[in-house]
Amino acid sequence: MLETRSLTKSFGAVHVTRSVSLKLERGERRVILGPNGAGKTTLFNLLVGELTPDGGSVHLAGEDVTALSVPRRARRGLSRSYQKNTLFDGLTVEENLALAAAVPTGHATRLWSDSLRQPEIRDTVAEVAEQVNLMPHLHAKVSEISYGVRRQLEVGVALATRPLVLLMDEPTSGVGPEMSKGFHDLLNNLPRDLTLLIIEHDMDLAFAVADTITVLNYGEVVFDGLPEEARGSKLLKDIYLGSWEDA
Amino acid sequence: MFRHTPLRYAVLAILAIAALMQAFTAGYFGLEILIEILILCLLVLALDLVAGFGGMVSLCHGALMGVGAYAFVALNVLADLDPWLAALGAVAITAAAAWIIGAICARSHGIYFIMATLAFGQMAYSYVFESPLFGGDDGMGGIDRFDLSAIGLDLNDSRSFALFCLAVLAAAYLFATAILRSGLGRSLAGVMHNEKRMKALGLNTWRIKADVFGLSGIIAGVAGVLAAQHIMFISPGLMNWTVSGEALVVVILGGLGTLVGPLVGAAAFVVMKHELGEVTTYWHLVVGVILIAVVMSRANGIFGWVEARWGDRIERRLTDATRSPAQKEVSTDA
Ligand SMILES: Nc1ncnc2c1ncn2[C@@H]1O[C@H](COP(=O)(O)OP(=O)(O)OP(=O)(O)O)[C@@H](O)[C@H]1O
Ligand SMILES: [Mg+2]
Repeated sequence: MLETRSLTKSFGAVHVTRSVSLKLERGERRVILGPNGAGKTTLFNLLVGELTPDGGSVHLAGEDVTALSVPRRARRGLSRSYQKNTLFDGLTVEENLALAAAVPTGHATRLWSDSLRQPEIRDTVAEVAEQVNLMPHLHAKVSEISYGVRRQLEVGVALATRPLVLLMDEPTSGVGPEMSKGFHDLLNNLPRDLTLLIIEHDMDLAFAVADTITVLNYGEVVFDGLPEEARGSKLLKDIYLGSWEDA
Repeated sequence: MFRHTPLRYAVLAILAIAALMQAFTAGYFGLEILIEILILCLLVLALDLVAGFGGMVSLCHGALMGVGAYAFVALNVLADLDPWLAALGAVAITAAAAWIIGAICARSHGIYFIMATLAFGQMAYSYVFESPLFGGDDGMGGIDRFDLSAIGLDLNDSRSFALFCLAVLAAAYLFATAILRSGLGRSLAGVMHNEKRMKALGLNTWRIKADVFGLSGIIAGVAGVLAAQHIMFISPGLMNWTVSGEALVVVILGGLGTLVGPLVGAAAFVVMKHELGEVTTYWHLVVGVILIAVVMSRANGIFGWVEARWGDRIERRLTDATRSPAQKEVSTDA
């Protein structure tokens, strides 16, 4: 469904992505682990097209999309959420979701109809709001909801375009354990055929939701396999779990 | 996103009643001032659409109005077309020009966007200034007003022309609200709040901006046609960047992104210009002081200030009054 081949990116002399090759099957749920600065967010930026790679390619549903712009990749079914909330701040939760839901249906560019009033948009908004537990907040403005709820909306907006592949950049960053647990339920409620790539710091959550795990360190894939193997891996302990436990 | 609040309806009603009273009772000079206000209203409506709702601060809207006026004269006087046909063509030309400017400038932001639009405006200005076809800096005359004798109106009469301009403004206002309430208008709000996210959701944001800029050009073009018919003479001064600057001042003075505010601003600006202009030639100083006061007060213009103070209160009182007692109980329980 989503594949990268020898993806490379440097900022000046710093190699942030080193020949990263990944392959996600349809419906696969993969978690990306890695210490701060490992290049996880950069990888996402390369995948969606917000950054241009120095080398390598990105393939979506069997097609090379490396040369396509951000919006064109998104229209082919690639959606992402951000590590740092990237929402429509002055608008309500409902409007945030509707703006996203209107893009794939074509209502977002139409002059002769109001996207907010379209039954199919409203249905999508209600459905997504249910999925990410935003029902009680639909009419609140982003500025009026708590940080944790904003994190849910961040994922909700990405989901509302009805993507084939969803990339989530640390969806639980900065929220308490209660919310993390809620997030686990949220993931379980997502359709099984949705391909998920999740950057996650919370190890328990990562192991609980992942089909497969990729570990990045200094921009390099140092582990790619099943969660069980990851747990036992000596290499992983040294570079990641080790530092985690020491901390 | 754009919404009509009770306060906005109230102010619109007051403005409409005041304009109608003025149109029916004023003498020649009063009517001239009214027409000047109505045409400025069209221009600031067009500008608020892009600047207030799309974050595209344009310094070429005066020039776009000028394009409308010159295109109208070219088609009406030079090509000898019927004024209605000429107006249709002029508005189409202005909209197309606006769309192209919007499409090119959409990729720049902030100060760069402003400078790019200014450059386009100045290009149009210097072209008509030099062009012998359009009379150079002498300008052109011989312009016809629309023929509305079929419905018993003679637009060469100031009162009729003022009423006609008012009707056109009402239509333009409805058009602007229709844009803002469309899928396109909603996406424009998304682009203004967070362009990066809109792109990530799959939207060609430049296209949204260009389309709205083009639609705004329709209103600016209409303003140009009416301006040409009003003075029955056009000169390059119409395209000078100061016209765009003044329009921007009026939008900010009235309340950016409120649609109603710029109309209030236009009326206040023209009235101030004439009233103060009689007393002192330095009336621009007074406008400057007021503008500084408005900007420093951190209110969103005159209307924005009123809205911030009383908008919510009026709305709450109205919804409370219209609610049934049973509903009231529920809301007090909650
Ligand atoms: N636009 C940029 N210009 C220069 N350096 C950058 C840029 N973006 C990221 N970097 C650097 O690249 C490295 C990887 O950053 P990235 O954000 O991908 O890490 P990450 O794995 O997401 O980290 P975190 O867990 O803290 O989110 C960091 O050293 C960062 O400073
Ligand atoms: Mg990151």
